[in-house]
Amino acid sequence: MKANGKEPVAVQADQVWFSYRNHDWVLKNISLSIPPGKHTVIMGPSGSGKTTLLRILAGITEPGKGHVAVFGQSTYELEPRELSSLVGYIPQQLGLVRNLTALENVLMGSLGRLFDAKTLLGLFPRAESERAREALDMMGIAHKAAEPVFCLSGGERQRVAIARTLLQHPRVVLADEFASDLDLALASEILARIRRAAERENITFIMNMHRIGLARQFGDEVLALRDGEIVPGFIGNEILETPQAEARQ
Amino acid sequence: MRSKLVVPVTSAFFLLAALAHLGFFDWQRLARGFRNLGILGSEMIPPDMGILPTAGAALWETVEMSFAGTLLGFLAALPLSIFGTRRLFSSWVAHIARFVAAGIRTIPVLLWAIAFVILFGLGPLAGTFGIAAYTVGYLAKIYADLFEGTDPEILEAVGSTGASRLQLVRFVFLPEGANAILTQLLFMLEYNIRASSILGFVGAGGLGFVMQVYLQTLEYRRLASVLLLILVVVLAMDGLSAWVRKRFLLSAQ
Repeated sequence: MKANGKEPVAVQADQVWFSYRNHDWVLKNISLSIPPGKHTVIMGPSGSGKTTLLRILAGITEPGKGHVAVFGQSTYELEPRELSSLVGYIPQQLGLVRNLTALENVLMGSLGRLFDAKTLLGLFPRAESERAREALDMMGIAHKAAEPVFCLSGGERQRVAIARTLLQHPRVVLADEFASDLDLALASEILARIRRAAERENITFIMNMHRIGLARQFGDEVLALRDGEIVPGFIGNEILETPQAEARQ
Repeated sequence: MRSKLVVPVTSAFFLLAALAHLGFFDWQRLARGFRNLGILGSEMIPPDMGILPTAGAALWETVEMSFAGTLLGFLAALPLSIFGTRRLFSSWVAHIARFVAAGIRTIPVLLWAIAFVILFGLGPLAGTFGIAAYTVGYLAKIYADLFEGTDPEILEAVGSTGASRLQLVRFVFLPEGANAILTQLLFMLEYNIRASSILGFVGAGGLGFVMQVYLQTLEYRRLASVLLLILVVVLAMDGLSAWVRKRFLLSAQ
């Protein structure tokens, strides 16, 4: 896929506007273009529109105005199964099923490919189970495969969520405030694992984050949002200089 | 300050008015009632345990009716509650499913039993269907509300894997709601055991028929034995529920 006939583009947003109520725009004229295989971090203070932008890019929320495409296909016009082969989404609270084991949660990444009744009985093809264990291994928690999610720590849950998305095999992964609740060392280790896995699978990663140090470690590019607009010429931690953001640091 | 007193003062006024209308301040009548209660109590003691073989067989029938009726009702309530979940189906499908559940729930279990006695004749089969019908109406409503409350983030995350509606039910709604599903099922079983003990009054089998006979023939010592039997079963159910909860409920959240 080429944008303007020149560079290949993984995620393209053109003049995206969004409001929950009329004339109260949460996103204002957002245009961005993210190349394949790059890791992009979106930063900004609370209420700047980061989560809304991510949900629109993931095809979960339809923009009020404008257009979003992933590898040339409009995300909110695709069927869920088609979209799942393009985009993986990890919400802020991870969206794990607490009463199921880590392995069962990871196996859910394969649901878009499986149609048979056996799956409904919890019987997944052997190949999928092996790949799910590999994904857990890649995240360093293969030994926790049989543990219910409610028994896992915050960091372990983050790894399960990533492993589930890896099993889905999307070309783009969008993660909302990922690793934001973890201590710096653990967050750094998990992000390093994600980076290795993403490079191995050639996944384009877009992540909301509010820690500038982690953003610099993880992101090839950092985009800054303020009041629903992309901040041009963003420099370092300037965007976070608000009382709310400082309190969270 | 004055506005804070409006609700409690109004409530207290209506309570007193209702109590007066219902005869709670007719002291002579109340005193007579308490005297009769004492007489009834003395006529029930000691309970006549000689009827245990007869009452035991009827009790077993009551337990069978409750267990089978509750499970049949549960199996029918699950799909109805899924259709009643607006997160899975369009609003009109959900409305129809919820309307059906509300309609079934409106009819008391005793009336259901009478209806099934007319359909299938006297005996525990009618009672079992009566219990199943009421259970459907109750559990379908509770479960549909439970499924509606499933964490939207989990649905979005698993939905974004391309999961179908049926897969969402299997891998999100049921496991996320497992604790509440089991708790409500156990509650319903306890409730149905108590409820089914009076279904015999309308010829729907079980202990109710025996109770009715002892009431009509004023054999209160025998009635006391039957009530003791019901108490034993209810206590046993409490113990069973506690064990099931401890054994199977997950300490999630």
